[in-house]
Amino acid sequence: MLVPFSYNLRSLFVRRASTLLTVFAIGATVAVVAGVLALQQGFALLYTESGREDLVVFLRPGSTNEGDSIFSRDRGLKLMKTVPEIAMDEGQQPLASLECYLAVRRFKMTGGETNVAIRGVQPMTFTLREGELEIVEGRNFQPGADEVIVGRKLVDRIQDCHIGDVIQLNTTPFKVVGVFATDASFDSEIWGDLDRMLQALKRYGPNRVLAKLVPGTDPEALAERLLSDREVPAKVLTEREYLSSQTKQLSKILVFLGAFLGVIMGIAAVFTATNTMLSALAARSHEIGILLATGFRPVPIFLSFMLEALLLGLLGGGVGILMTLPINGIETGAMNFNTFTEVAFAFRITPQVLVRAILFALTLGLLGGALPAWRAARLSPTEALRRT
Amino acid sequence: MIRVRGLSKSYQRGGETLTVLDGLNLEMEAGRFYALMGPSGSGKTTLLNLVGGLDRPDAGELFVAGEDLGKISGAILAQWRADNVGFVFQGFNLIPVLTALENVALPLTLTPLSRSERRAHALHALELVGMQDRAHHRPKQLSGGQEQRVAIARAVVTDPQIILADEPTGDLDRDSAGQVLDLLVQLHRDLDKTILMVTHDPHAAERAQSIVHLDKGQLGRIEDTPRALAAGD
Amino acid sequence: MLRLVVRNLTKHKLRSLLTVGSLVVALFLLCILRTLVTTLEAGTQAAKSNRLWVQSAVSLFVDLPLAYEAKIDAVEGVEKTCKVQWFGAYYQNEDSFFGQFAVDGDTFLDIYPEVVIVAGSRAGFLANRIGCLVGKALAKKYKWEIGDRIPLIAALFQKDDGSAWDFELEGIYEVTEPVWDDRTFFFHWDYFEKTMEATTTGQPDVGTFVVQTRQGADQVPVMAAIDQLFEHGPQRVQSTTEADFQAQFVSMMGNIPFFVAAIGGGVLLAIFLACVNTMIMAAREQTRDIGIMKALGFTDRSMFRLLTLQSMTLCVTGGLLGIGLALLAEPWIAHGMGSFFPGFAITAGTRDLGIALTLGIGVLAGIVPAWQASRLRCVEALRSME
Repeated sequence: MLVPFSYNLRSLFVRRASTLLTVFAIGATVAVVAGVLALQQGFALLYTESGREDLVVFLRPGSTNEGDSIFSRDRGLKLMKTVPEIAMDEGQQPLASLECYLAVRRFKMTGGETNVAIRGVQPMTFTLREGELEIVEGRNFQPGADEVIVGRKLVDRIQDCHIGDVIQLNTTPFKVVGVFATDASFDSEIWGDLDRMLQALKRYGPNRVLAKLVPGTDPEALAERLLSDREVPAKVLTEREYLSSQTKQLSKILVFLGAFLGVIMGIAAVFTATNTMLSALAARSHEIGILLATGFRPVPIFLSFMLEALLLGLLGGGVGILMTLPINGIETGAMNFNTFTEVAFAFRITPQVLVRAILFALTLGLLGGALPAWRAARLSPTEALRRT
Repeated sequence: MIRVRGLSKSYQRGGETLTVLDGLNLEMEAGRFYALMGPSGSGKTTLLNLVGGLDRPDAGELFVAGEDLGKISGAILAQWRADNVGFVFQGFNLIPVLTALENVALPLTLTPLSRSERRAHALHALELVGMQDRAHHRPKQLSGGQEQRVAIARAVVTDPQIILADEPTGDLDRDSAGQVLDLLVQLHRDLDKTILMVTHDPHAAERAQSIVHLDKGQLGRIEDTPRALAAGD
Repeated sequence: MLRLVVRNLTKHKLRSLLTVGSLVVALFLLCILRTLVTTLEAGTQAAKSNRLWVQSAVSLFVDLPLAYEAKIDAVEGVEKTCKVQWFGAYYQNEDSFFGQFAVDGDTFLDIYPEVVIVAGSRAGFLANRIGCLVGKALAKKYKWEIGDRIPLIAALFQKDDGSAWDFELEGIYEVTEPVWDDRTFFFHWDYFEKTMEATTTGQPDVGTFVVQTRQGADQVPVMAAIDQLFEHGPQRVQSTTEADFQAQFVSMMGNIPFFVAAIGGGVLLAIFLACVNTMIMAAREQTRDIGIMKALGFTDRSMFRLLTLQSMTLCVTGGLLGIGLALLAEPWIAHGMGSFFPGFAITAGTRDLGIALTLGIGVLAGIVPAWQASRLRCVEALRSME
């Protein structure tokens, strides 16, 4: 015979001040953890969701990112032309492009300094990025000209990123002629002509080759072959693989931070829930005596208390999520420790975040209810009735 | 000692106004032991609370120990209580976390007495009620009768002029009740206190000198008990 | 009165313990979080004003030609120049990461009096071409002792044959101010330059010139003069004071102070609600006691004080324990987070803020139930059963 559920609802309602305080205390805990997870999701999704499977990135063997990969221009061109797996366009030109990359010192609108990724690309890049990138303001840069276009996310965050502004790179001034928008990871970058960039920045050569593969090619087999290739050794990754490898450091930090806060704040929240359930127990020991005297077994009483604690946790989880929802979509900047550049990304409350938040809240309720429920089940009817 | 003129008191209960005392007139002498009787709802406890300054009258005059209680409130009223009244309740109302001695000494913390003086006074009060052996017990470790004797010690420790007792024997068995009543009679005789005791037990009331009958918020009659008559009071 | 406070709190031992426990946890967390921020900012405050950092104006990843050294040295107001290059190698495996820099050993120790050699000697370090200087925490981590040979596997500056770079430990240092952390590895520029010259890469460039200005020299014209020198390339430079450079570095980390503040706010809210909850429960149970005491002649104000004091006692106990725990745990955390937050140390300001927060929570959590209790009419309070 189970204790009716309405009994729990009523009990929570009767001590509503206590219930509300506990729900909000659990809620605040869940909100903090969910917030950190949403940040991690926003960051990870920006990189992995946008990474394409049909594009591959060629890096110098041994390098882990564009920053420490470097080719000579000739080596890069040779690679583009000699790898048969690279697809061709109608004019029998390889669908591949050389890109150079550098994190440059820039000033934020708010004054501090930061690192912004600057990328020199070839016209073929825009063919490869067909549909991924759109010029939303102004026009694209002219090949060979000292002009750049900037990612929309930079415009209001970084100085000198409006159309007509001039970005000085070493001794060469570049004019901002357009703003581009994209959902991909490069929306916090500045783009210009590869050769002009190489010259202005005094770079030895491009940092990577980006290419589209012939449909049906196995990227892994290609990677294995090229790693030990004598002519054009290269490390090959699909763009998706490459981008997710670039999120490791910050993701690791955020996941660690979420877990750390979850455990520590969780302890405090469990204590609070336990206190509340203990006061529920104290207020109801007389009733429990009556229940026991009328023939209820200790197990249903234990379950009834646990259910009430779970309900408390669930309400807390709901409040926590409601507290977190307003930050969904809010953009913020953080340092990507892999590339050392600042990227702008949004908090993303994904189903995964929601599920984790609710599970976390239920765990808090469960742990908080365990001790009081155990005590309730162990009450002897006579003792419970004697207590007022 | 106590002079009441046209005293009225009503309460709000579930939207309805319940008139408990309705223009009550009453006079009580100093140093006398009164029992207050009447059916449920006749206003006994309300009158006791008003006389003790726990509650405030709606209308009328209420002079107790020379003070018009209708005209003072807050901290002044609290101080007046501390100086003039001792309470004995039906449910004993000891502070559960304090020992018997600490409970008795509690009202003394409102006086300028030093810690050791307070202790000495409290011990003396416990001796008066015959509870000195139980000074360091918590209320839970005492029987009902013992708890009530400690409560009486607490009521007299500040040497108030008036002792107000609300059904002091209501929760006790016959023997314990007898002992508590003996104690009240003895304190009245030895310390010359004015005692006002609410009770619905005629045997308890017999131990007082006068019985005041209340009915529907009005004064019924005041009669002297056979004991008082025999003693010639 | 105090006895009553203590007795009331110990009556519900478990509840008081749980409340104190959650305060311990919360204050511990707040101290640690705030220390992350203060640690980031500590470098800024320790930075000395007579040191300038000259780096590429373009990017932190672009180096400057070696030939710049002589030109910078010639600038009016410059006392000494020290070359610094990020070496970026690893020891044993890729996960054992720590900072390594090639520096002009003698000048470096002159410019940075904050770096004090506590084992080995300056003379020994200077005399040994492959000598190196490591921070105390780093030496402890790898159990290095003076005279040990330390091979590092280069990632950026590889020898042609790919072999490891050999070093010999000649000195262990401590820092008196967090201008460098104590888990860094320094070695001689000459060894670095000569070794690189023998490779196909050739003569290496310089990441940073640390310039010490002459006593009493005004920084601004010196910085302007240096920047002016290379206005037309080949690499433009940007001179900043050490303090500004550190501040910029913090700024590059993004919105960390904001995140920490947001998280701290959440922690505070949760813990505050938990304390209010406990105090409301306590006050409810004491309703009858409050009625009795009022009947005995205690004033509303003294009842308010009683409950506030009760809340304060509970919160201060928990808070102080939490702060104490954070102070105790400091060395452990400093060890664990060394690579992300070098120089992790709880400041007096953080400790005082923690104490202030504790007192604040104590007062605020007690105030609502205390106010309710003081307003309670004793006739009703006495009637209550709980």
